[in-house]
Amino acid sequence: MAGLLQSRLFPGPIDVSAKFMTEAASGELGHHVGVTLLRVAAAFFVAMFIGSAIGIALGRAKGADQFFDTWLIFFLNLPALVTIILCYVWFGLTEMAAVLAVTINKIPNVAVTVREGARSLSRDLTEMAEIYRFGTWKTLRHVTLPQLAAFIAAAARGGLALVWKIVLVVELLGRPDGVGRQLYDGFQLFDVSMILAYAIAFILVVQFIELAVLQPIEARVNRWRR
Amino acid sequence: MKNGQQAIRVTVARKAFPPVADRPEQLVLSGVDLAVEEGSFVVLTGPSGCGKSTLLNIVAGLDKDYSGKLEFGHRDARLSFMFQTPRLLPWRTVEQNIRYVLDDDDADADAKVAAILERVGLSASANAYPERLSLGMQRRAALARAFVVEPDILLMDEPFVSLDDPSADSLRALLIELWNRRPTTVLFVTHDRIEAVMLATRLVRLGGTPAGIVQDSEVKLSPTERLDREKVLAARLRLFENA
Repeated sequence: MAGLLQSRLFPGPIDVSAKFMTEAASGELGHHVGVTLLRVAAAFFVAMFIGSAIGIALGRAKGADQFFDTWLIFFLNLPALVTIILCYVWFGLTEMAAVLAVTINKIPNVAVTVREGARSLSRDLTEMAEIYRFGTWKTLRHVTLPQLAAFIAAAARGGLALVWKIVLVVELLGRPDGVGRQLYDGFQLFDVSMILAYAIAFILVVQFIELAVLQPIEARVNRWRR
Repeated sequence: MKNGQQAIRVTVARKAFPPVADRPEQLVLSGVDLAVEEGSFVVLTGPSGCGKSTLLNIVAGLDKDYSGKLEFGHRDARLSFMFQTPRLLPWRTVEQNIRYVLDDDDADADAKVAAILERVGLSASANAYPERLSLGMQRRAALARAFVVEPDILLMDEPFVSLDDPSADSLRALLIELWNRRPTTVLFVTHDRIEAVMLATRLVRLGGTPAGIVQDSEVKLSPTERLDREKVLAARLRLFENA
C-alpha cells in the first residue's frame, strides 16, 4: 500500500516522461496546450493593448489619473477568482467569458507599469515633435512608444507569466479543454504524473516564447543604447 | 524673399511664471514689442536668466501662457527650432531623425536628406545612432534637421554652447554657409557677445527685471568683416558700450 501510494503520488522522472510521451503521441497534449496557448495569446494581446492605452492616458493627464487611481487600485486588488466567477455567472460558460476574465485581471497591471513610463516622458522631445509638426501618429510611433518600450517590455514579461496562470484557473472552472482542464482531471484521478507532464509541457512552451520571441524583440528595441 | 516685410511680430505685455512652493510669482517679461523683418538675422542677447529663451519659446508657440500677441508674416509659417541640446531621437538613426521632420508624402525626401547630410558633413554617419556621435556632430545633425524643412523662420536657442572653440567656430561657419545659400528669417538667442556680433544683422538686447528691450541696433558688417576677429572685437566694443 505504501509502495503504491509512493509511486502514484511521487512519480519519478521516468514515469512522468512516459506519461508525457503517451499524451504527446495521442495528440492530447498538443491539443490542450494549443487551446490554452490561444487563450493566453488572446487575453495577453488584448490586455497589453488596452492596458497600455489606459497607462499612457493616465500618465499624461493628471486629472484623469487622480480620478481613476482609486479604480485602478480596486481592480489591482480584486481577486482573480472573483472576476472569473462573475464573468462566468454573467456571460455564461463561454470562450468569450473566459478570455474576458483573464483580460480584466491583467489590464490593471499593464496600466500601472506603463503609467510610470508615461509620467516620465521627455518634454524636450515632445516640444521638438510639436515644432516639426510630427502629428499624432508620428509622435506616438517615433517619440512616445520608444520611450515606453522598456516599460511595455516589463509589463509583457510579467504579464505572460500572470496570464497563463490565470488561464489555467479559468479552464479548470469552466472550459471543457485546455491544460487547466487536464490538470483538474489529473487531480480527480490523483494522477500526479499527468499533472506534472502537463505542467512541464507548458513551462517549456513559455520558456520558448521568452527566449525566441520576447528577448529578441527586447534586444531589437534596445539596439540604439550605448 | 521680399525684404522690408514683417516675418514676426511679437508683443508681450506681461509674462510671469506662476508661484512654485514658497517662491512667489516671478514676472519675467514686460512691455516687449519686437517686429522682425523678413530675411534678417536677429540676435537676442542679455544676461543669463533674463528671459531670452522665454521670449523665444513664446515665438515658437511652445509657451502660450502670457498676455500679448504673436503674428507671422506668412499665413502658415513653417518654423524650425534649434534647441540648446540637440534633442535628437536617440532610438532613431541620424538619417531617420532628419527624414521624420519632412512630410511623409514628400517625393524628394531621399534627395533632400542626402543633400543636407552631405552639406553638414555627416554622410558617413547617416546610419549611426545619435548617442554614439560627439556633441559637435549631434549639433550638426540638429542643424541639418532645422534647415531640411526649408523654414520660413529659424529659431535658435544658444545652439553652440558647451562646445570647444574649434567645434563652435566650424558650426558657426556652417550656419553662415547654410544661411547664405538659403536665406531665412533667424531669431537667435545667445549671451556670447562675440558670437552675437559675428552673426547678427540686428542686435536686440534684453535687460532689467522684468526684462524689456534695452537696446536695438543694426550690425553693419560685411561677410568678410564678420570673419575678421579684429573687426568683430571692435564692433563688439561699439555695440555694447552702454552694457
